[in-house]
Amino acid sequence: MGTRERRERSDNSDILLADLFRGALRHCAIPEEDISLSAVGGYGRGELSPGSDLDILFIHSGLSHDLLSGFIKAMLDPLWKEGRQIDYSIRTRKETRQVAIGDLKVALGLLDSRHVVGNALLHDGVYMDAMNNWRRNFEKYLTRVRDSIEERSRNFGELAFLLEPDLKESRGGLRDILMLRAIAASEYVPVALERIAEAEAFIWQVRDVLHTVTSRIRNQLLLTDQDAVAENMSFVDADALLLDISKAARAVDYTMQLTWHDIDVQQNRSWFRKPISQPVAKGLELFNGEIILSSGYNVSDDPGILFRMATIAAERGHRISMEALVHVSENSPEISTPWSTQSREDLVGFIGAGTIMVDVFESIDQENLISRWIPEWEHVRFLPQRNVLHHHTVDRHMLETASKAAALTRRVHRPDLLLIAALFHDLGKGFPDRDHSDYGAELIYPLALRMGFSKSDAETLALLIKYHLLLPTVATRRNIEDPSTIDYVVGCVQSAENLELLHALSISDGEATGRNAWTPWKAQLVQELVTRTLSAMQGIAPPGQPELTVAQLEKAATGVLSVDLNERDDSLEIEIIAPDSMGLLASISAVFTVMRLEVRSAKTTTVNGVAVTHWIVHFDINVPIPTVSSLRDSIERALEGTEDLQVRISERIRNYQKSSLRTGIRVAPPVVLAITQIVTDATIIEVRMHDQPGLLYTVASAMSEFGVDIKGAIVSTLGAEAFDTLYVTDKQGAPLSVERAEQLAADLQAILTPL
Amino acid sequence: MKLITAIIKPFKLDDVKNALNTFGITGMTVSEAMGFGRTRGHTEVYRGAEYTVDLIPKIRLEVVVDSVDADRVIDVIVKAASTGSIGDGKVWSVPVDHVIRVRTGESGVDAI
Repeated sequence: MGTRERRERSDNSDILLADLFRGALRHCAIPEEDISLSAVGGYGRGELSPGSDLDILFIHSGLSHDLLSGFIKAMLDPLWKEGRQIDYSIRTRKETRQVAIGDLKVALGLLDSRHVVGNALLHDGVYMDAMNNWRRNFEKYLTRVRDSIEERSRNFGELAFLLEPDLKESRGGLRDILMLRAIAASEYVPVALERIAEAEAFIWQVRDVLHTVTSRIRNQLLLTDQDAVAENMSFVDADALLLDISKAARAVDYTMQLTWHDIDVQQNRSWFRKPISQPVAKGLELFNGEIILSSGYNVSDDPGILFRMATIAAERGHRISMEALVHVSENSPEISTPWSTQSREDLVGFIGAGTIMVDVFESIDQENLISRWIPEWEHVRFLPQRNVLHHHTVDRHMLETASKAAALTRRVHRPDLLLIAALFHDLGKGFPDRDHSDYGAELIYPLALRMGFSKSDAETLALLIKYHLLLPTVATRRNIEDPSTIDYVVGCVQSAENLELLHALSISDGEATGRNAWTPWKAQLVQELVTRTLSAMQGIAPPGQPELTVAQLEKAATGVLSVDLNERDDSLEIEIIAPDSMGLLASISAVFTVMRLEVRSAKTTTVNGVAVTHWIVHFDINVPIPTVSSLRDSIERALEGTEDLQVRISERIRNYQKSSLRTGIRVAPPVVLAITQIVTDATIIEVRMHDQPGLLYTVASAMSEFGVDIKGAIVSTLGAEAFDTLYVTDKQGAPLSVERAEQLAADLQAILTPL
Repeated sequence: MKLITAIIKPFKLDDVKNALNTFGITGMTVSEAMGFGRTRGHTEVYRGAEYTVDLIPKIRLEVVVDSVDADRVIDVIVKAASTGSIGDGKVWSVPVDHVIRVRTGESGVDAI
């Protein structure tokens, strides 16, 4: 079964129709030069699957209605009696031209029209009109073309990742292939049809076999039919068949995305303004809406380039250019083991970007780059799963889980561990003799160490993956009112931090699996179990204030401003010691923001009225790296109040917010918590939110305005998420009252929540 | 024939299924249900915020049986679903006029 059979079927239909056509002409005494018959759509392409409709168009020179009615009846009656499905239209050349302008389906069908019998000149005229119309008016059709593709994708899902896909209508299926051919015919942009040639032949073949084995014209490949289709096509089993379908559909979808990108660029091209590239990170530029490699940049000694590129693309909502991916694939070195902190953070930031990450991940995976950096991924790539609850292949399910987890990062203390656990939670699937949770835990441990996580973080990740089904299973199958059940859960999860992570992972996993897997019913049972388990455990203790070294204590004892700066890899390590004052942290962070230094982590504490602050910051490649003296001067001016930084900072924050709005990246809203249950000499305020320029400045200056003093702070950036713990007191150095602390948290939350 | 409906605690489903299997009943319909009886809702404290749980998750189990077996089946379910604590659920039965097995067209007790 294949192209030859479809062609034969089409040829046989041509012969049959030609006979009937001529017979009807004789019967009605119509001269042959007055009418012609063309095949359109799939039949026009000579590709007739078993049971397909015959799509035909009669083109006439202006014959009367009565004459045409008699002719159609004489010609098609024998076919109708046989039960053949005929989809026919009768038009003059002018009528066809007018209909095609308003109707996308007709315009597309005519592109594939082919003369079968009758006056060929009538057909040629219509075909020429159709091609001219399509090429000339392609921009006018664009919105309708895009809408139709998106609507199909919404209704039929993605062929590559569905376990019961529709071969024709799903994204990456036959309809998309035809659309790519139509776009190519417009000559508006070049389409890399050679990338999909193999995929096209294969998906057609699967559909033909499906029609044959089911004896029905149905394009959805149901689980019940998969074995028969696989056997007919000599696959080892249905999983092997689905694997190849996934690969083919991914190739189609990737080509479609590249094509749309080219169309967008073409549409936005201005003859008056030359596109300029803008450096966005080391070795990377933004050009025409794509992340590209800087001209002449040597990737051969930059193993971190891939995830840096991915993070920038996902966080800014752009795609990576195909040339850049191919170049990185061919020239970048193997990643060192363990990975650098930066590469690990980039991966976390990339996953944490949410749904937009899925497309970027897909483009990287198309070039086989994920498996190169993470060989464990290869086994789950396109891996189907026979399960009534799941809709997606294993790899896509894990990506969907990670994108759901990105919305829950505010609920946990370690968003980085949540995101990594979500991305790899089913890594152990597809090994028939092993429990996938146990084996997944065995696989993640060495992988986490390679990624540069600490042993204790790797153990936490292994625990999360080992127990990722624990909460839903126990909540629905065991008596959660029984203390022994709670003891069992406590024994498995070990700490409240782990429970918090496991809960978020269960929700992400359930939501990504589908509506049937995560119902409000199950969510409530799991919530109940978590609440009961938490109450049986000690709460989560916030970190204590940072300890100081002897050298720091000595410098602090002098009581004067001291600034140190060391460059390490892509970041700067800065130590600033200064007499404490209300608003000190706000002033230092203001200077950093203006100098375009992005705070990755900070530890500050106050000893005998002197603040000791230690920072790790990233610098912007577009501005010069500060020196000790330039930094010292700026801080002195800021502390003396001789430089008003407010305007420059506000402008920077506004620009960032504008660019976020433009790219449409949606991140979870910020969460600010006042931890009032724990009694210390300062009140603890936790801020969890998506990192952005000037964040610490915004927080610190809001606190100054509220009239509280920041005695210490631990600031961490985990991927793209900021997690700040601040120790604050009132002006007299005492902890805040519960009411005041909660008011401060509420005010901060309101300030940080984007309008 | 009788339709027996049981509302039970979720974790008791396996026990009830096994008990019914032992009795000779192999087919049943199970669905997730939310509701409350005398237990009503209760108030939970989560992360410092109080929230009221109005509806409690339960399992709804339905099985059609020959009228002569109905009392014994109810008894099997009640015994298997019981924990002795509040919220164990309820079991009830109603008469059924017709049952037809779609595949074969069999009807009445033959279709059970």
